[in-house]
Amino acid sequence: MKNIRIFLTILAWIPVANAQRILIINGTAHIGNGEVVETAAIGIAEGKILFVKNSLTNAVQRKDWDTIIDAQNQHVYPGLVAANSTLGLTEIDAVRATRDFNDVGELNPHVRTQVAFNVESRVIETVRTNGVMLTQSTPRGGTISGSSAVMFLSGWNWEDATVLADDGIHVNWPSSTQGGGWWAEPAPKTRNTNYQKEKEEIMDFFTLAEVYAKGAKSIDDLRLEAMKACFVGTKRVYFHADGMQQILDIIEFVEKFNLKFPVIIGGYEAHMVGKRLKDAKIPVMLNRVHMLPEREEDDVNLPYAMPALLQKQGILFCLQNAGDMEAMNARNLPFQAGTAMAYGLTEEEALVSVSLNACKIMGIDKEFGSIESGKSATLFISKGPALDMKTNQVSTLIFHGQIVSSENFQLKLYQKYKKKYQGK
Amino acid sequence: MKKSIFFSIFLTFQFLPVFAQFGPENGVKKSEPKSILIQNARIYVSPSVIWEKADMLLVDGKIKEIAPSIKANQSVIIDYSGKTVVPSFIELYSNIGQPKTTFHEGGFRTQSKVEKDGAFYWNEAIHPEFKAANSYAIDAKTNETLMQQGFGYAVSHLMDGMVRGTGALVSLGNDQVNKQMIKGDAAQFLSFSKGSSPEGYPSAQMGSIALMRQALFDLSYYTSSPQNEFSISLDAWSNQMKLPMFFKTEDKWEILRAEKIMKEHKLNVCYIGSGNEYAAIDAIKNIHRTIVIPINFPEPFELRDPYIARQIPLSDLKHWELAPSNPLYLFQNGVPFCITTNGLKSAEQFWKNVRLAIARGLPVDAALAALTINPAKELGVGSELGTLEAGKFANFSVYSSDPFTTEAQLLDAWIQGEKSQIKAIAGPSIVGKYNLLVDGEKYDLEIEGSNERPSGKVKLASKANATLLDTTTKKASVQLVENDITIQFSSCDKSNPGIVQLHGKMTRNAAIFEGDGTNSFGNWIVWSGIRTDKSPDPVKATELKKDTSFIARPWLPNMAFGMETSPKSQTILVKNATVWTNEADGVLKNVSVLIENGKIVNVAKNNSISAPSSAIIIDGKGMHLTAGIIDEHSHIAISKGVNEAGQAVTAEVSIADVVNPDDINIYRQLAGGVTAAQLLHGSANPIGGCSALIKLKWGSNPDEMLIPNAPKFIKCALGENVKQSNWGDYNTSRFPQTRMGVEQVFYDAFYRARAYKADWEAYNNKQTLIQPRRDLELDVLVEIMDSQRFVTCHSYVQSEINMLMHVADSMGFHINTFTHILEGYKVADKMKKHGVGGSTFSDWWAYKFEVNDAIPYNAKLMADQRVIVSINSDDAEMGRRLNQEAAKSIKYGGMSEEEALKMVTLNPAKLLHLDDRMGSVRVGKDADLVLWTDNPLSIKAKVQFTIVDGVILYDAAKDQSQNERNEAERARIIAKMLNANENGEKTTPFVKKPRKHYHCDTLGEEGETGENTH
Repeated sequence: MKNIRIFLTILAWIPVANAQRILIINGTAHIGNGEVVETAAIGIAEGKILFVKNSLTNAVQRKDWDTIIDAQNQHVYPGLVAANSTLGLTEIDAVRATRDFNDVGELNPHVRTQVAFNVESRVIETVRTNGVMLTQSTPRGGTISGSSAVMFLSGWNWEDATVLADDGIHVNWPSSTQGGGWWAEPAPKTRNTNYQKEKEEIMDFFTLAEVYAKGAKSIDDLRLEAMKACFVGTKRVYFHADGMQQILDIIEFVEKFNLKFPVIIGGYEAHMVGKRLKDAKIPVMLNRVHMLPEREEDDVNLPYAMPALLQKQGILFCLQNAGDMEAMNARNLPFQAGTAMAYGLTEEEALVSVSLNACKIMGIDKEFGSIESGKSATLFISKGPALDMKTNQVSTLIFHGQIVSSENFQLKLYQKYKKKYQGK
Repeated sequence: MKKSIFFSIFLTFQFLPVFAQFGPENGVKKSEPKSILIQNARIYVSPSVIWEKADMLLVDGKIKEIAPSIKANQSVIIDYSGKTVVPSFIELYSNIGQPKTTFHEGGFRTQSKVEKDGAFYWNEAIHPEFKAANSYAIDAKTNETLMQQGFGYAVSHLMDGMVRGTGALVSLGNDQVNKQMIKGDAAQFLSFSKGSSPEGYPSAQMGSIALMRQALFDLSYYTSSPQNEFSISLDAWSNQMKLPMFFKTEDKWEILRAEKIMKEHKLNVCYIGSGNEYAAIDAIKNIHRTIVIPINFPEPFELRDPYIARQIPLSDLKHWELAPSNPLYLFQNGVPFCITTNGLKSAEQFWKNVRLAIARGLPVDAALAALTINPAKELGVGSELGTLEAGKFANFSVYSSDPFTTEAQLLDAWIQGEKSQIKAIAGPSIVGKYNLLVDGEKYDLEIEGSNERPSGKVKLASKANATLLDTTTKKASVQLVENDITIQFSSCDKSNPGIVQLHGKMTRNAAIFEGDGTNSFGNWIVWSGIRTDKSPDPVKATELKKDTSFIARPWLPNMAFGMETSPKSQTILVKNATVWTNEADGVLKNVSVLIENGKIVNVAKNNSISAPSSAIIIDGKGMHLTAGIIDEHSHIAISKGVNEAGQAVTAEVSIADVVNPDDINIYRQLAGGVTAAQLLHGSANPIGGCSALIKLKWGSNPDEMLIPNAPKFIKCALGENVKQSNWGDYNTSRFPQTRMGVEQVFYDAFYRARAYKADWEAYNNKQTLIQPRRDLELDVLVEIMDSQRFVTCHSYVQSEINMLMHVADSMGFHINTFTHILEGYKVADKMKKHGVGGSTFSDWWAYKFEVNDAIPYNAKLMADQRVIVSINSDDAEMGRRLNQEAAKSIKYGGMSEEEALKMVTLNPAKLLHLDDRMGSVRVGKDADLVLWTDNPLSIKAKVQFTIVDGVILYDAAKDQSQNERNEAERARIIAKMLNANENGEKTTPFVKKPRKHYHCDTLGEEGETGENTH
């Protein structure tokens, strides 16, 4: 873990109030590790959380703080994490000029999202309004899409928005079924007869990269250079896969290359091979909860219940939201966790699945993911329970100790037109 | 035996035409048999008459006489003792002898010019002028394949297009095409498939339906009114209308779709089915038509890998199991049917599957009728074809035993009195033990194997002179050609090792061989052999067993979560619930709601209703009861295309024509509390197609799902989709490509409709005698202008919203609903003034340029201006949690909970003009209700019950047992299939079907979701 470079730049953007030392009192603190502290006092200084304690039993001195936020009847949560997302890499899905997540080539581990991340995206401001504060900015396409980066959803530029650069490479594991055509003219899907061959191509590339990682003194292949850290264990390998066949093959693959931090993204059938995943200690970034069942006979509520199925099996998992319109939909991540709660998780387990667990899987849990002393003060306050769309109402966003406006252009348009009609 | 030899020689002289006038002879006139006498055969005269032993006299290719015994001089006599004679089968659906059609390749095309020059119909899929007789050429190979299956006739047509022209009835002989062609115009053929037509229109099944209707109206207009135009197509078609008509379908529901058109035009028709009619047998029974069914029953799937096996949908498994019972289902329900070989891969499959159908319980006479008299009747040739009676064609097949009840072999196929040998009649078996006497030496010979592949062993019998002779057992090579046997083995004379070669004739049923040959010195010798063991009984053909254990029934629909019996409305009392009335009463606690005959009959506070004893009582304590969710904008449950994108104006098409009850998303949405939906055409065209207003009646027929007497609706669309902005660089030719052009498309359409209406009014007021041509597109546009049909218009930005309201105002009607309407908040005041409602997404945006200013406060802002607002899905996934989407307006803009819930219940009912019967919990309204475990707007809310028209169609408590039942059914069928796998039945690898979830701009017949699809 020591090798992980977390960029915690002194964030320089203009805060709403020039707060150095912030105290949040009287709120219900959902720690993000399963615990809840009622009438909590949360002390923040220099971007870090100093303490979290129940203010009824632990006195706090008001004069010690520059800013005191009274969160009575409100809820405090760690910043939620949109793992595996193109948020910040796309602005308008249909406009090619605004899409920066998929480059040419099959094996692109060297392609990095960090530098394409548009922290000024109008989509981003609508997402953080709901309490989503970090994203794993993730490339798409090819067999190896590139390297993702963990980013703050606020900042002046990508440099100071970076939480963790190049946290891992993304491997799109071949499917054991193939085909499907394009969306207007789909062809039937069939058993992928090239599956073995496609697997071997990945195998060959990793073999090459492993040799390179051991021997190379100077950079002579950008692709292999980008793979190096995967073998040392400072960079994760994210395998995008859904089927049982794929998952079992990935477990074998991980053993062969002795990969330290493998992750499954997707995992539609992960619950079918839960014990194998648990034994192999491979965590899962689960498919979006708001999806249709894949098979005709799947339980109608299976996608809703999948988080609870993994929880029961003791698999480390978090939620993610890849799919149609994923960037704009990232703002609904809290409600996906909410649905998972309705279908078997406890409220705090649901929260963990979009906060601490995501940070654990990405290797930033020492700094992020929960409201614990010593961690980055990246959290938000909501007037009601944040995992329910009926009550999610974010009043305060604090990014690493800095208060950031929770407004966005949509709210401004709302106010503008509200005024128009009131003027009549 | 001699007769048979004589006859086969005779046949070689027989290739000459019956009617010499067809052409001059090259050589002298050749003779032919005047008559042929078939003797001692077991004859299926017709499905109902079997003669166990009878003779049949054939003269000039026809049957002269059939009787228990016929004396005939000067006839060639053929003895078919022990054989079974069956009338030749009639193939109704084939393209034998027709040229290959080349199909247009490449992607979807919008409206293109007709490529066929000439005075033809405007759409190339309609080509009745095509006569298959003109292009028919004898295809000996295909004829033989059909003859091997027992067929003697076929109707051949060009399998291409929607109105395909005529088919020719031919018999399957290989000489003289004039003699083989019985009728040049035997029938006409229709389908919904546009085939090789390169035009963009129609691109969806609803387009095909509209085009078929329009073409039929055009036909009657052409024939009934004086014309100043000539159409080759319509002229040809009008001459075909007295011919039998066959309509090809690809699914059980397509039969019902085609039937509506046929009834509308009072046409008689016979349907070519698809093999799954059993799954809609009640509806199909009621149309009283003959169905021509294929018997290409599915092969078992290859199941070795359980991971792959897991991917096979239960619907495919159930179809595999039930398809062979399809003929039986039709028979039991009194549906007349014929059988076609269409879709079969091989001749063997034909008999295997016919016998399988019989094993499932189909009576033999029904099977034979389906292959003979029924098709003959449909073609109107029952007096010449179909049975073996005097005067009919001498077309029949000869089998080694009864082909319907035993594994019989087809031996000879007779076509118009000419025999083709398919398989030689098996002689007596030579397998056995023999004493050989060769050149004075005695041997023991044993023949093993079969007549086709015999092998032998030879051993010297005498032990004398053992030192000089080899007494070991030697291999002998044996060959049998007809009656001639040859045997070779190495000599047993040690002093002279050489080869003994024998050739002989077999006599007395293989009991004696006699002949000559050469010994090891090469000298000619004589030999004989006498059988020492008893010759085996002739092999009896295996009797087929009826599979009486088979009891599986189709589910409704025949897939996972299907129902076992058709649902009936129940008396239900929901007690103790918190009821969201959507009425002045607001939300009431501790209320009982009584449901009877599909209606809400009582809503009582303090649980003061006593339920009838028969009522199902649901305790709603701690739960919330609401009106069912109504999705104003849905694309589930639609067959073969949500967009008829072939033209910019397609008002003539209707989703109501293509409602598909077999969509699992119906059940999934019930599980999300949806009870009714407007199924909309897509948004590819400025004026799209008419809507279907349905209830989500899982397990019902398409027509039962349609809401009775529902108001009429049509979908229009504006913006990027209709101007094809996101279709790539190649789709830039269809008008309109800009919002300017979109406006003009509307004006043009409505001005055309106005003129059309005036023409009809003038005609109806007798101001003119010229009847206007009926135009289905303009009919619908007139309905819009007369406010008889409401418009739901896909729209995004304020400019286009404003524009369309102006168009409507100037034409004197109102737009009923703007759907999507993401910038409605900018013009909500204008919307209110126009009187249009808004049906919007809660929070979607950023998927294309025109939604850049979309805000989640839209619903609230419009509602504040007293616009009727609903929240819709346009998405099969989101459709099952519309309660959550409605709740977002509480977050974005602070809408009250009751108003938020109304946006997915009462308000869409108002927008659909169904609020007199749906949308609130009030006595007299339809019993479309949902019981939730929690406040329905809370993230914790789950559906406990969904009731549609008083029937519980989703019950969460039964969810687990439903899953278990699905799994048990899978396991049961998979066990059967594994058995078939092990028995070496041919298997087929599983092919995963693409997901079919339509969105607004899904093109083509089947769509997969992609980006930017709303």
